[in-house]
Amino acid sequence: MSVPNTATPPVDPALMREVAQHIVAALNLDLPAEDIDPDAPLYGEGLGLDSIDILEIALVLSKHYGLQLRSDDANNHVIFRSLRNLAAYVGEKRTR
Amino acid sequence: MNQAIRAALTARVAGIGVLGPGLADWVQARAILRGEQTYVAQPCVLPVPQILPPAERRRATAVIKLTLATGLEAVAAAGLKAAELATVFTSSGGDGRNCHEICAALASSDRLISPTRFHNSVHNAASGYWGIATGAMAPSAVLCAFDASFAAGLLEAMVQVAVTSAPVLLLAYDTDYPEPLHRVRPIPDSFGVALALSPTAGDLARLAVDPAAAFTAEPATRMDDAALEALRLAIPAARALPLLRALALGAPGGLVLDHLPGQQLALELSPC
Repeated sequence: MSVPNTATPPVDPALMREVAQHIVAALNLDLPAEDIDPDAPLYGEGLGLDSIDILEIALVLSKHYGLQLRSDDANNHVIFRSLRNLAAYVGEKRTR
Repeated sequence: MNQAIRAALTARVAGIGVLGPGLADWVQARAILRGEQTYVAQPCVLPVPQILPPAERRRATAVIKLTLATGLEAVAAAGLKAAELATVFTSSGGDGRNCHEICAALASSDRLISPTRFHNSVHNAASGYWGIATGAMAPSAVLCAFDASFAAGLLEAMVQVAVTSAPVLLLAYDTDYPEPLHRVRPIPDSFGVALALSPTAGDLARLAVDPAAAFTAEPATRMDDAALEALRLAIPAARALPLLRALALGAPGGLVLDHLPGQQLALELSPC
């Protein structure tokens, strides 16, 4: 597992903004993408997403960036901890 | 045949909810059906269901918005508690646009389906969201009988009223299909109707079905207004319109609702 297990992994701000836009569009969120705090928890507290939302995000990012986000990945709690972690994972694993 | 089966199936109408193209609610629909207001066909406007928690609200499809709007209108008019009310949901095919999106995903190269779309695709989705919104734990039946769905739902709801001696909320609803499905199932827009039926309360009308003559080969009662007749034929749930007109006018007498060919549903309306 190469995603750093820290609160602030290095990530391209433009990609993070793009991932935030995918999340807002896929989940029909009633807030602008730039209002998502990069370090707030995506699940439960914070953005208030639930398990169906996380599956939806995984699907949309998999399709768009040509990467694998599997529901049985042991590191999901790290990958999906925050927008920053998710964007860092996408930046590392994307094939398109 | 024993006495219980020979007795007419009856229920009182305690509350009505309507939402469809050019029909914003029962108050407007009643004025149009009484001829006090001209019917103008306009795209159906579905309200955002504020009663749902935020996550479910974000995922609510047309059928969810339609059933919450009509169901809550009927329940409020009847003075009943949604949380305690058994429900009968009936639809010819569920959410057309959700079905379209899943078909499009299956026809794409990766065939991965949105989990939200999948969860909204089950035929009892509207019933599930109703339970979340209202906290209802009472029994809920969900029917589908293609173009006969309204009459089948009404019959089921009336049987439940008779069997349980408790009020039942009937919700009939259909939504449009985008192309290419629209070509084979040309439902043009959303239409929903909800009837709160009760064994004893309710002063709008008394409905009766004679079990010995429930089905008839007679054609369904038509609407005099050409635009309303077109609406009745275009959307399966709008097959309720002749009943809604009789309720709006408070007109006693018999009427025939579209059901199965050669087996239309014969209904008798009387004042309470």
